Amino acid sequence: MLKSVSTTALAAVLIGLCGCDSAAPEAAVAAAPQHPDFSGIWFPAGRQQDPRNPEFTPGAAAAAAEYEKAFTLDDDPGRYCQWPGMPRAVWGAPFTVEIQQRPQDFTLYWEGYGMYRKIFMADSAPPVPVLPSAMGYSVAHWEGDTLVVETSNLKQYPYMNRQATSDAAHVVERIRLEEREVDGQKTKFIVNELVLTDPKVYTGPIKITGTLRHRPDLQPLEYTCTDALWDEYLNERGLTLPDLDALPNPQG
Amino acid sequence: MKKLLTGLLVAALTAVAIPAAAHHSFAIYDMTQNIEFDGVVETLKMRNPHMAMTLTVTNPDGTKKTINFVEGAPANMIVRMGLNPADVAPGKPIKAFGAPRKDDPNAYFLKAIVLPDGRRYVSVGN
Repeated sequence: MLKSVSTTALAAVLIGLCGCDSAAPEAAVAAAPQHPDFSGIWFPAGRQQDPRNPEFTPGAAAAAAEYEKAFTLDDDPGRYCQWPGMPRAVWGAPFTVEIQQRPQDFTLYWEGYGMYRKIFMADSAPPVPVLPSAMGYSVAHWEGDTLVVETSNLKQYPYMNRQATSDAAHVVERIRLEEREVDGQKTKFIVNELVLTDPKVYTGPIKITGTLRHRPDLQPLEYTCTDALWDEYLNERGLTLPDLDALPNPQG
Repeated sequence: MKKLLTGLLVAALTAVAIPAAAHHSFAIYDMTQNIEFDGVVETLKMRNPHMAMTLTVTNPDGTKKTINFVEGAPANMIVRMGLNPADVAPGKPIKAFGAPRKDDPNAYFLKAIVLPDGRRYVSVGN
């Protein structure tokens, strides 16, 4: 935001110096859109879904039946550090979400699983998608105070009891800021109303609302998920790492 | 910072219960059980997605046994509740509540920790 304002101010000065029409700088400033600022530290604060139990397509229903024969809830990709990805990250695990907003893009960092996502603004020459990914390829535009984000290029998430999605999944998010009273204090919330469509997996759209509460008091923490997996490997190999923490410290 | 510390303290004192392992079910554990152990921390792994701990417990006859808490709350979550890892470092006496695995009664889910001064850190209904 500061950069945007500074750029605008610099442009105004340069236009003034050039001896151009004196009305032009004011017009440029007036035209600069003022958008909500989603930057900050946030924490999940609820989720609603409609329909609650989405109907599978015949192909997905057959896949789900096979899946249920072999898999249990404890065959959990999260335990093995697989990212939930989009759209599941929107209502995700109870850890902080950090958002950095610039005029040309948004960067989102989920503490849980260390997930990372870019949202590119459509009017800022977004790059072309390269590979399907867990978070997909997201391009956004503003409709008034609402950020509208379309996400595609998702790699499949074939866990049939965990909001499975295929490469045909498409997510449209409508994201806005709300101010609510919490314990007598005005508190900011991000409300994300998304629609998931996936014609390979679901017979109709799924509407989900995920809410984040502004929590500037929270410190994002590192979330290294693979330590236990590495320990298991070491145990299987019969290897023991040196304990450097147990060494004497000559500096006291 | 003062606000953060106050928040953490309040969380600790009120023993906030947060679903510690929301990403998977507890089906492999018999969560109806809530077995209490008094012991001394033997090993501690403050990590994600789940902390782990072993506790040395002294039997009535004076012999010792090790209780293996193979999973508990995510480290990030339990420190946000206010737990100071130093309070559960190896050698520290604590009370712990566990639910055994259905297929291995010697492996437990760590449902709650209670420090000698009464502070409770509950990861799953306890």
